[in-house]
Amino acid sequence: MHGLFRWSSKWWPGVIPLVIFWAIAAWTSTEPLEADLAQRSTAALKDTVLNKRRISVAGRDVTLAAEAFSEDGRTGAVASVESVPGVRLVNDETRLVPEAQPFVWSAERDVVRVTLSGSSPLPASKGRLLEAARANLGGVEVVDGTTLARGAPPRFDNAALLLLDQIAKLKDGKITLSDTKVSLSGMARELGGREAVAAALKNLPEGYSVAANDVKAPPYIFQAYKDPVAVTLTLTGYVPDNNIHAALVAAAGRKFFKEKVVDNLKASVGAPAGFANAVVPALGALSRLSTGTLVVSDREVKLSGDALHEAAAVQIRAGLGKDFPQGWQFKPEISVKPPAAPVDATVCQQLFADLLGQARIRFESGKADIVADSAGLLDRLIETALRCPNTNIEIAGHTDSDGEEPSNQALSEKRAQAVTDYLVKAGLPANRFSAVGYGSTQPIAGNDNDQGRAQNRRIDFVVK
Amino acid sequence: MAYLTTFYWGWLLASLLLGFAMGWISVVQHGEGVSKKLRWWLAALAAALVAAAVARVVPGRFGYWLDLGLIMFALYLWGCAVGSCLRDWVVSRSAPPA
Repeated sequence: MHGLFRWSSKWWPGVIPLVIFWAIAAWTSTEPLEADLAQRSTAALKDTVLNKRRISVAGRDVTLAAEAFSEDGRTGAVASVESVPGVRLVNDETRLVPEAQPFVWSAERDVVRVTLSGSSPLPASKGRLLEAARANLGGVEVVDGTTLARGAPPRFDNAALLLLDQIAKLKDGKITLSDTKVSLSGMARELGGREAVAAALKNLPEGYSVAANDVKAPPYIFQAYKDPVAVTLTLTGYVPDNNIHAALVAAAGRKFFKEKVVDNLKASVGAPAGFANAVVPALGALSRLSTGTLVVSDREVKLSGDALHEAAAVQIRAGLGKDFPQGWQFKPEISVKPPAAPVDATVCQQLFADLLGQARIRFESGKADIVADSAGLLDRLIETALRCPNTNIEIAGHTDSDGEEPSNQALSEKRAQAVTDYLVKAGLPANRFSAVGYGSTQPIAGNDNDQGRAQNRRIDFVVK
Repeated sequence: MAYLTTFYWGWLLASLLLGFAMGWISVVQHGEGVSKKLRWWLAALAAALVAAAVARVVPGRFGYWLDLGLIMFALYLWGCAVGSCLRDWVVSRSAPPA
């Protein structure tokens, strides 16, 4: 032992090459060592969920900077890196992801894109929501502006996924999830979309509730266009159901005796209350115009076009709104068609005969009350009467042979008088018209079948 | 430490062999060695460096270099001790008895 102590005094010269070795070893090994430790540390954190993770290595000291989603996750991450072989020290620069209070997540849709904003609980749910949004919205640009935060309510992912399904049903709008309260605003993409969203919200996960649902339905549109050139009535837009659809088309057929009805209507939910009760009289008013458009948008009825004479215009402007159910608005834009050129008595008679050949003035069964469906025909008869102002006209009432002749006679007279009164009310001079009832004495068809009897029940205009 | 030895065993072996060679020579070398007083100072310095390494007070790369240097130095000393003992044994065996 003493010898060893003595010899050791002579060991120092070897220290000089040793220092050279050391310098070379340090020079060549530091960077590979650091790279190896960085790789091993990254591998050790593979299964740990962290945000903004940054690992830097100086010598054998690892600096770990990251945001963790729980205290356990944070300490676990530091411990994982400390346990990597070769690591001397871990400089712990980790912290917890900030807590959002309240935890707000929202999806907003405008014309070109959907923007996700607010907070997401974990990178995995952030990715899943973005993926789901892209899948649901096929083709629409999705911008993810969410930041990670703690404090999400339980079952957040399920709730957010359900809400993303709803954003696909909106044309524009915003859905906000604030803790467990859902608020929606905007416009549904299609009729029925609002109802579909409301129904889907019933499936929100337990604990979630709807604070405000201000999703609006798109306007419920019904349009009718009377084209005098093509002699068509084109119906487009929506009707509530097939029964009302059939009823509207039948009413159009009765009111528009000349025009062919082109039916492009589709059935859809979301109609305002009293839809049929407003649209049928509005179609009646349209039938009185020479050319015109009827637009029903939700509870607003716009009728524009040319009335055949001044009195008709006044009647339509003042009268139609009164027929509507409560809450409906009528916006008439009615002008009067310029008067047609005067004609002589022969032409006038021919025009009357043509009109009455196409349709008959119709009355309530057994009564002398003119039905509303005949308003369009009467307007045309008035327009024709205005073209031959110097003629006198006999309004001739006829019935079929059913019933007692005296009552038929009386009914034909009353009906002729009712028509005369209608014309006078429209502004024509009373002295031009004489109402005559012929009962069933002048049939134009056989009274032995329904069709013939229907032809015999008629009002004729005879120019004198 | 285990990690370092597996990572750089070549350099460590070189230190050991260098120490062995130095120890081998030192037994028969003539001339003055390091004085006793200086040796104590050097030992104190080495102890201080070891203490610094164990306490991990030197940060980053310097800390790593210190660790590496100390391990190489320890192996060097171990090599010296083994080399000296062996040489002494060889010399005493081959020398004629006094």
